[in-house]
Order: sequence, then structure tokens, then C-alpha cells
Amino acid sequence: MPEHQPAAANVRADCLAALGSDAGRFAPLAGQRILVTGGTGFVGTWLAWLVSVLNDDFGLGIELQLLSPHAREFAERVPELAGRPDIETIERDVRDLGVLASDVGYVIHAAGSPDSRVHASDPLRTLSIIADGARAVLEAVSEQPDIRSVLMVSSGLVYGNQPLDLERISESHRGGPEWNTIAAVYAESKRYAETVSAAYVSQYKLPVVTARPFAFIGPYQLLDKPWAVNNFLRDAIHGGPVRILGSADTVRSYMYPSDMAVWLLAILTDGVPGTAYNVGSPDGVTLRQLADAIVSRFETPPDIVCRPVGDQKPSRFVPDVARAQGLGLELTVGLDEALARSISWHAARTGA
Amino acid sequence: MTSPDRRLRVAILGSGNIGSDLLSKVMTSDLLECTLFIGRNLTSKGMVRAVSMGIPVSDKSIEALVADPDICDLVFDATSALSHTRHAAILKEMGRSVIDLTPSNLGRMCVPAVNLDDCLTEQNVNMVTCGGQGSIPLAKVISEVCGGVRYIETISQIASRSAGPATRVNIDEYIGTTERGIREFTGCPRTKAILNLNPAHPPVNMQVTVLALVDEPDLDRLVPAIDDMVERIQAYVPGYRVIVPPILENGRLAMMVGVRGRGDYLPAYAGNLDIINCAAIAVAEGHARLLGERSASAPSDPGAEGGIA
Amino acid sequence: MNKKLLITDVSLRDGSHAVAHRIDREQLAAHAAAVDAAGVPIVEVGHGNGLGASSLQLGESLLEDVEMLRIVREQLKTSRMSIHVIPGFATIERDLHQAIEVGVDVIRVASHCTEADITERHITFAREQGKEVYGVLMMSHMASREVLLEEALKMQAYGAEGVVLMDSAGAYMPDDVREKVPHLVQGLSIPVGFHAHNNLCLAIGNSLIAAECGAYILDGAIRGFGAGAGNAQLEALVAVLERSGYQTGIDLYGVLDAGDLAEKSLLAVVPTTSSTSIVSGLSGVFSGFLKPVNRISAEYGVDPRDVFFELGRRGVVAGQEDLILEVAQALSKEKGGENA
Repeated sequence: MPEHQPAAANVRADCLAALGSDAGRFAPLAGQRILVTGGTGFVGTWLAWLVSVLNDDFGLGIELQLLSPHAREFAERVPELAGRPDIETIERDVRDLGVLASDVGYVIHAAGSPDSRVHASDPLRTLSIIADGARAVLEAVSEQPDIRSVLMVSSGLVYGNQPLDLERISESHRGGPEWNTIAAVYAESKRYAETVSAAYVSQYKLPVVTARPFAFIGPYQLLDKPWAVNNFLRDAIHGGPVRILGSADTVRSYMYPSDMAVWLLAILTDGVPGTAYNVGSPDGVTLRQLADAIVSRFETPPDIVCRPVGDQKPSRFVPDVARAQGLGLELTVGLDEALARSISWHAARTGA
Repeated sequence: MTSPDRRLRVAILGSGNIGSDLLSKVMTSDLLECTLFIGRNLTSKGMVRAVSMGIPVSDKSIEALVADPDICDLVFDATSALSHTRHAAILKEMGRSVIDLTPSNLGRMCVPAVNLDDCLTEQNVNMVTCGGQGSIPLAKVISEVCGGVRYIETISQIASRSAGPATRVNIDEYIGTTERGIREFTGCPRTKAILNLNPAHPPVNMQVTVLALVDEPDLDRLVPAIDDMVERIQAYVPGYRVIVPPILENGRLAMMVGVRGRGDYLPAYAGNLDIINCAAIAVAEGHARLLGERSASAPSDPGAEGGIA
Repeated sequence: MNKKLLITDVSLRDGSHAVAHRIDREQLAAHAAAVDAAGVPIVEVGHGNGLGASSLQLGESLLEDVEMLRIVREQLKTSRMSIHVIPGFATIERDLHQAIEVGVDVIRVASHCTEADITERHITFAREQGKEVYGVLMMSHMASREVLLEEALKMQAYGAEGVVLMDSAGAYMPDDVREKVPHLVQGLSIPVGFHAHNNLCLAIGNSLIAAECGAYILDGAIRGFGAGAGNAQLEALVAVLERSGYQTGIDLYGVLDAGDLAEKSLLAVVPTTSSTSIVSGLSGVFSGFLKPVNRISAEYGVDPRDVFFELGRRGVVAGQEDLILEVAQALSKEKGGENA
């Protein structure tokens, strides 16, 4: 049983498996220095694991810089990676990025919390980190002597509400978030950040690619986050009941983070400048199916409670990933496997 | 220490609203001078303002002090409880005095009208909370004048606009620290703190009510004793005034004060932020006077409580 | 129609205001058993201002929070037990942990209607504990529907499973319900609730309109046993809703029996819409102020109606009972000045 293995070893194995036979595509990164903003968050942590595998198992010799105002906490959260000579943490607010080390060739801008509670309680800070953070990164990059590629991590939420009759949202979809409510702060500032990118690309001819992440589940994703799958997992691990809030017909899709890390790094390396790529799973699942899949993984499956609340409108959030597939990217971990690994990781962490 | 008439050099850690208001207050003090204003982001409003005032600034956080320990005699920490935990260890090692305005609960609790002198020898003093600064002196008088104090409660009203995201998310810490403060200063084992945010327009002033259950409420002695205490507080918090003097109502001892801010950097209704900053400045000025006494044998001015211009 | 609704009986919480927070053991147990037998889905218990609110400011509870919860817990077989939690009064460490240990099922985290961001940590904590969590916007007559939606969206973001608009002052006119409730139903992806007070004798009418406007959660109290003029009378609410084609899942005879029992054992006085209650509603002051305003006005020899209007003018919110003293004293001085 995976519970008996250290959780970190599993994460490492996950990265290795997600790379498959495709590690060769990252050869251009050999000996390069990569800066990741938001470097100690969920995305940054998985990128750090992937880079450590590329260095240890494939000898790429990448130098990774993780920038975050909470850099100090990295050693506590990911002790296995802290202190490695090829991973450096920099404690700084992205808005005060300043000048990059002259040998930084690649930048992944992943700063900004996707936690909707933070957006609601501190909307001005959220706006500032996303909008001013993007400017600070692009400004720094524009002065960089030898920049190879910049990946701006945006959000699938920039499309606004997905039409219910549209199975998957593609990068060319022309929707848009609401813009004058507290609920729009995150999506609208991400959209603005994409426009800022476009302006820098136009004015400085910078090699910028954009990723629009959807939803993920796996290690390092905290179960207190206010998203359906996290809450279902938490409820189930606590013995239930698993509660479905809102419409059980709502459709989501989930990607395992080792795939996410490989995709992001591949888009950084091989993405066409000026292009946006959806990152996520194209396989939609209703919340009801998701809850069923989760409880069925437990020996005594917890109950599922779905409160009948009348006319709850279902929603849909599933990406079309044909463009990423065009770069030769695939999902290597299906939903069931992603759930199984998430449960065992959290169980190992909580000692359950 | 050099010339006898030099001011106490202070550094301010934290460039948010509290730090910026402290800077304004330091600028108007005859006894203090700000030698470094420290944040994390040179483009933040507080930093830009400090630069425009000609104050030396740094975006290197606590590391700025580690790099140049002699740049100041005393540090105000106006960051967050989490950050202060780290700063406290570093400053202790450096042997630098620090006045902590975060709800970290680490240093000796200080309410200048009550225990300023005891705190001047402490390396780390904590300013409790705004409600604590407003209520503890009154609670202390009650515990000294009245016999059989069984329970003390304080209710603070603050304007919604004066409560930023950090205050709101730390409301439980506010309550816990205020209750502990009243317990420690009065010895009364049962205490309770309540915080109300009021969104009225125009914004309301801070108001603090103290309620108590006492066996021997000696109002004749209590009223003048409270007046004396209020005068002591007014020496460093000019906007502190009595709204309802001590009364007995429905078996409870009750009194209410209002705090209007000085309106330095923060608007005048934000008396909650003003009172804790005024108190912190009073502690720093206490240090400045000690420094003056030590470095010169010039006669001190024992009667002065404030010194705020 | 056949639309299902979720009814919460707030008698053992809001009713606490009506008896200066002196509900005793037998009363708690008897009422809890009666409404459990009637199939009331949620039973709310505690001090009138919720967990951790027993104080000199608001009145001290006869029994400690934990004890009240324990007594009611024992009586509930099918009903879920709920608590009202206002950050600023109740803390996670001191109060919520205990309540969860005793076995509370539903946690309703409340704030003044413009201050929802103080509920983030409490809602998050309750969700992490696997509890059913609702957000409550109190004194909701004091904000526009646009502001209410913004605040409700915050609670939704924090993880609330529904948001209840409280007409804490009994100040809503039917058109206010028609304006505000549908706006939230439209703008939220979680259910909306309505909690009425009867200061202007509109509690049942307003509750019915709220249901028609899409509200899913409705609060009632036995014989209206709640602050000020009381709440929507639970028995009448059930009867009226069922007659209008809604399903409450509550047995009518059972809840009528609970009403008769309560009149004998729980209610010292059946709440009525008194003159001061009407003024309280008109001035938009929290219903829980009724008792202290009457008491303090009598002590200072001032007209409680003047006190209510002055408190309303100052925009006091729930929990600011200390300001009654200030206002009564000021009015008394004014009066004295005229006499002198």
C-alpha cells in the first residue's frame, strides 16, 4: 500500500511517470536558470519536484529560483527539496521584483492565490498582486539580456461562465468574466494581466506564452480550499458525509499535478510565443459522479448528502486541450488514479 | 551614546497604515527621529510617502537592521504577528529594544498610563490591542478602588472603515489578547472582550465601554480616580475622553469613553489605530527620556507624561 | 408547486431575548423534544446573540452555552442542532471547539449585513470540521440589495451552504422582501434564507413572500417566541406554507402541540407587537434592544420611543447595547436642561 511509503517518494515517482519517455523535450533547459514567481505555492512546488527529477535522473543541471513572500515556509512544507543546491528560494513580493539575475533565461510567473476566500476578503490586494505583479515581471524580463521564454500563468476563469451547451472551452472562445462585482476580481485581473502581456509582447517583442489552468487535484493541494473536490475529499477522509452543495449536475474536470507540471514546463519550452494554452483535463465529470468516485475508494464508503435546494443552476468548467495536445502533451493520470493518489497522500500526511 | 541632546533614533518595520501613522507621530515628536522606514515594496503607498518626506527607507525587511544594527536605538514592529515572531528572535539577539504593535502576544504587555516605567527595561514590549489600551487603565482603577471585583468586560465599537483585512481576519486574536491583558493587569480571573464594527456614515469614533461585577462599588472614590486616570491617558492620547462616567446600572458597574484620533496619517475617526500608536510613541519617548538622563547628567523632567507637541 | 423548504426553529435562541436569556433546563428539554417529534429539521439553541455572547452587555445566560447544547442534544433524534455564531463575540478557540464537541450539526455564522468578511475564518473552520454552515446577514434592512449580494457572495466564497437575510429589526416592508430576496437568489449559487421579526406584524406575510421569491430557508419561532415583537410564528408559518403548496416536512399537529406546550411552559409572556416594538421596527433598531431600552429608559425617566429613534438615527448595530446608556443619559440631561 502506498501509505507505507513516504509521501515525498510518491510525488517524485509521479513526476518520473508523467515524464515517461518524453524527458528529451526539456533538453533546451539544460544548464539554464529558471525563475518561478509564486514559487512556493502549489504550482511552484510541483515545478520544483519536476525540475529536481530532471536534474537527478536526466542530468539537466537546471538552476531553479523560487520567488515568494513566504519563501521561508518552503522548508517546512517541502523539506525534501529545501536546501538542494539547484533550488534557491528568494523571499520577495513579486511586485517588488526589481532586476533579475543576468543569467535567468526562463521565467514562469505563477504568483497570485487562486483561493476565492482571499479574493473576497482582500480584493484590493488580489488586484494589486495580479495586475502589478504581471507588470513587474514583464518589466524585469524586458531588461533581460538573453531571455528564452516567459510563461504567464493566467486562469481558465478568463473565459467567464462556460455555456452549458459547450462541451469544452477552447482558447479561441470569446466570453469574458463579469467585471463589476466582488466575484470578478480574480478573473478580471487575470484577464487584464493577459492584456498587459500582449502589450509587452508588442512593444518589446518578448517571447511570452500563456497558460490558462483549470482545476487540479493531488498532493500539496490543501483540503481546506473552497473547491468541490477538495471538500469532498476532506469530508470523506473525515468519515463523511460528503456534502454536495449547489447542483449535483455541475460539471468539472481535474488534472493530476504531475501532468500539470510537465505541461507547464513544456509550454514554457515549446509553446508558440503570443499563444495561450489551456491546461487541465478535458474529461468532464458531474459533482455527483465525482462524489461517487471518491466514496467508492473507501472501505466503508461515507454517505453522500445532496440537499434538494430547488432550482440550482448547474455550471460547467472543462477545457478543450487540443492546442496543448498539438505540442505532444497528454494526460497520463486519469481521475480515478488522481483521486486514489490524493487520498493516500493526505492519509499519509494526517497519519490516518 | 553621543551628544546629550540627540533624539532617540527609531526604525519603523512595516510600511502599512500603522507604520505610516507612527512615522507621522515620530515626525512631530521632540524626542524621536526616524532613521529608517522599512517595508518590502518600494512602490507601496507608505514607502513612497516616506521617501517624499525625506526619510531613509529600505525594502529589505528585518535584514536591513541585521545589516546595519546601529542605525537605530529602538524598533517599532508594525508588521504582522507571524512576522514579529521571527523579528523578535533576531532583535533579541541584536539586543535591540522593540515595541511590538502586532497581536503576537510575545513581549511584556504595556499600557503606558499603567506600567510605562516597568516596561522601559524590557527588551520587547507588546502594545496589547486598541481595545486593551482603551479599557485596561479603567479596569485597573476599578480593581484598585473597588472591593471584590468578580468580573470585567469591555466592549469596543470601531468604524468599519478603520478595520482593514488583517484586523478582520484576526478578530479572535484581538479578543483573546484583550481578555488576557485585562486579566493580567487587574488580577480579575474572569474577563470578556467584545468587538463591534459599525458601518455608519459618517464613520463613528472609537468607543470603549467597561462593565464590571463588583461587591463594593465605591462610586465616590471611583469617579475621581477614573478622572485622574483619564487625565494621565490624555497626556499621550489627546482624543481620549469620558462619555459616561462610572455609574451603577442594573447591578453592573458601567462607564464609557470615546477615542477620537489625532488625524495624523489616519482619519480622526480611526481612534482605535490612533490610541495604540500614541501608546507606542509614549513608550519610545520614555526610552528617549532615559537616554537623555543617562547620556547627560542634565536634570530630567519627571513630571512630563507626554511630550507630544 | 410542491417546493421543498428548510425550516429552522429559532425559539431556543431568539426566544432567549424575550426572557432576558433565562431559559432553564426543563424548558430547553421540553421544547426540543416537542419540535423534534414534530419533525422540525433544524433547532437553534443558545444565547440570543449566539455562542459566546452571554455578557453584561447583552445579558448573562442562565445556563452556559455548552450546557444548553448538551440538554438539547439529548432530546434530538431527527432534528439537527444549530448554533448562531457572531465573530466579535464567539471565538473559534474559546467557543466553537466546545460546541462541536457537544455535537452541534449546523453552524450559522453571522455578521452585520455589511461586514461579511469577519466571517471568513469561522466559516472556514466550521467547514473543515465537516459541519453544515450557513452565512447570516443581520440587520439586512440597513443595506441595499446590491451591497447585500456582495456580502453574500463573500460568504459563498468562504464556503457557506446558504445565506440567510435577517430582518433583525422587523423593519422590512413586503416590497423590501420582493426587492432583496430575488436579487440574492439570482446572484448566488447557494440557497437564500429569510428570518423575520414581527415588529410591524408582517413576519408571516414577509416570510411567505420570501418563499415566493425563491427563498429556501425560513426561520420561525414557537408562538413567535423571539426578540422584540417576536419572530414569524412557527406553527402559523408551517400552516401557511403548506396551504400555499410548499413542503416543510413538519407535522402540523406536532408543531401545534409544541405551541400549546410552549405557551404553558416556555413563554412567560407571548410576544406581542407592543408600542415600543412598533417604534423599534420603524427606527430599524435590533429587536433584542427592547428589554434593555425599556429598563434603562425607566431608570432615566425618558421615553423609550425617543431612545429607539435616537439609536436608529445613530445607526447602531446588533451587539451595541452599551449605547443605550449613553443615549438615555444624553436624553435625560436634555430633559433636565429644559426643566432647569
